Amino acid sequence: MDLEKLEAILASQSHEFDVVVRIAKEEDIAVARQMAKKLAQEMGFSLADTTKVATAVSELARNIYRYAQQGRIMLRKKEEGKSGPSMEIIAADQGPGIPDVELVLTKGYTTYERSLGIGLSGVKRLMDSFAIYSAPGRGTVVVAEKRRRRF
Amino acid sequence: MKEAPSNPEQVVPVLQIADFLLVPIQIDLDDKTVGLLQEQLLKEIARTRAKAIILDVRMVEVIDSYISYTLSETAAMARLMGCRTILCGIRPPVALTLAQMGIALGELSIARDLEHALVLAQAP
Amino acid sequence: MHAPQNLSALARKIGRTPAETQLWEEFLGKLFAAEGAQEEAALTSTLRSLAEELEEEPLAAKIAALAAELPEFPATRVFQLALKACGEKRREQEETLSHLRQMLAELATPIIRIWTDMLLVAMIGNIDSQRAQDIAERLLNRVSSTRAKVVIVDVTGVPMIDTVVGGFLIEMFNATRLLGAEVILTGIKPEVAHTLVKLGVDFQTVSIARDLEDALRRGIALTMEETRKRRELALSLAKSGVGENDERGAF
Repeated sequence: MDLEKLEAILASQSHEFDVVVRIAKEEDIAVARQMAKKLAQEMGFSLADTTKVATAVSELARNIYRYAQQGRIMLRKKEEGKSGPSMEIIAADQGPGIPDVELVLTKGYTTYERSLGIGLSGVKRLMDSFAIYSAPGRGTVVVAEKRRRRF
Repeated sequence: MKEAPSNPEQVVPVLQIADFLLVPIQIDLDDKTVGLLQEQLLKEIARTRAKAIILDVRMVEVIDSYISYTLSETAAMARLMGCRTILCGIRPPVALTLAQMGIALGELSIARDLEHALVLAQAP
Repeated sequence: MHAPQNLSALARKIGRTPAETQLWEEFLGKLFAAEGAQEEAALTSTLRSLAEELEEEPLAAKIAALAAELPEFPATRVFQLALKACGEKRREQEETLSHLRQMLAELATPIIRIWTDMLLVAMIGNIDSQRAQDIAERLLNRVSSTRAKVVIVDVTGVPMIDTVVGGFLIEMFNATRLLGAEVILTGIKPEVAHTLVKLGVDFQTVSIARDLEDALRRGIALTMEETRKRRELALSLAKSGVGENDERGAF
């Protein structure tokens, strides 16, 4: 089930999204962050939520760069669901995968020496919904969503 | 107040005021820059033997876990060199984001504005 | 061209109230008067008034009735204009509604500048994720714009604080402290204190006051202490000569 979802997202096409950023170099992290910020602003997110989205994308892009060397950040607007417009953020890579997903979501867990171990758990806290699909040797996909808060 | 002599590895300007260093960060902090920033700050602290270093982040729009980590790490290193690190001017959206992620920045003192930062810097 | 009295009679037949009749008469008058570019805006504005007077469906029915009475009535165009007018009306209603919602959110959690450099946030009612984020965002913007030194958070009006709400509060307190302001929490009722300790939420990082008076006293002490320190700093900087011969007065 998870594996099917993983493969489906890995095979998804660029044109299905509003923004696709390839992550292959360190500088791409900042590019992804900027693009996310721009899209959130366009969608009318509050300043705080725009910053939350940009920060989450920054974390996800860095994870791709660190652990899989390359992958994609894909963003899309989802209009007028039951709970109003939202932004979907997908981070997909065909890297080594995560053997224990629960473990990486524990605050403070890291395999990288220069890190607070807060990346993925932080993203989960910043977003309204969050899911990881991963299979060792196949890759990792994170699907997160942030709703536009209405006043 | 005098500006420290510039050198090509500088990523930010560093101003010296009495025993303190004031560092306005006015660039987008990507992973490479934040590493260079750490190197530069440690060198300046060693060179000037400053009592405290004030990082002004009013212009920084995103502080993620890696930037936080590097800033905390720099503060811990500075402390070992006898120098206090004070962060001032965090933007409201950045503060909300850090708090929601559960990042506390415990190694750093937090100031409301530059004057408050100087007050904290002078504390014994 | 129709004689004005015919149109008046027609308007009386269609309209149910004097106000409505008058609007129909005005509308028909404009419709069958001079043709011109500015005429469309005038027609739309009268239709707007009619849309306010009637609901959308009766309005459509009456336009249809007029079309049946008058062979030269431009039904398609009038329907288009009526649709536009109704759309405008709905958009305006939505704007008012969202404005009211925002006002309600602000009224539900007033943020008051209660003393020099001091804000009071009175939290009232149940708090969910959305409300917590709204309050935190508003509070931080106020702290930043007023450069408040102390924020007193009064939770007397919050009926229940569980781990979720406690978590929101801690996040808000931490964010406030990242701006360099101090948080004083007050108004925790015995039953709330009981639950909090059982749940392991201890608010260790903020200072807690017995009541609002106690909170105010502490807050004032904190702001005065900082004012004193700032004055000392200014004096010592002046003595040591910092700031003299300074070309970059920007600091």
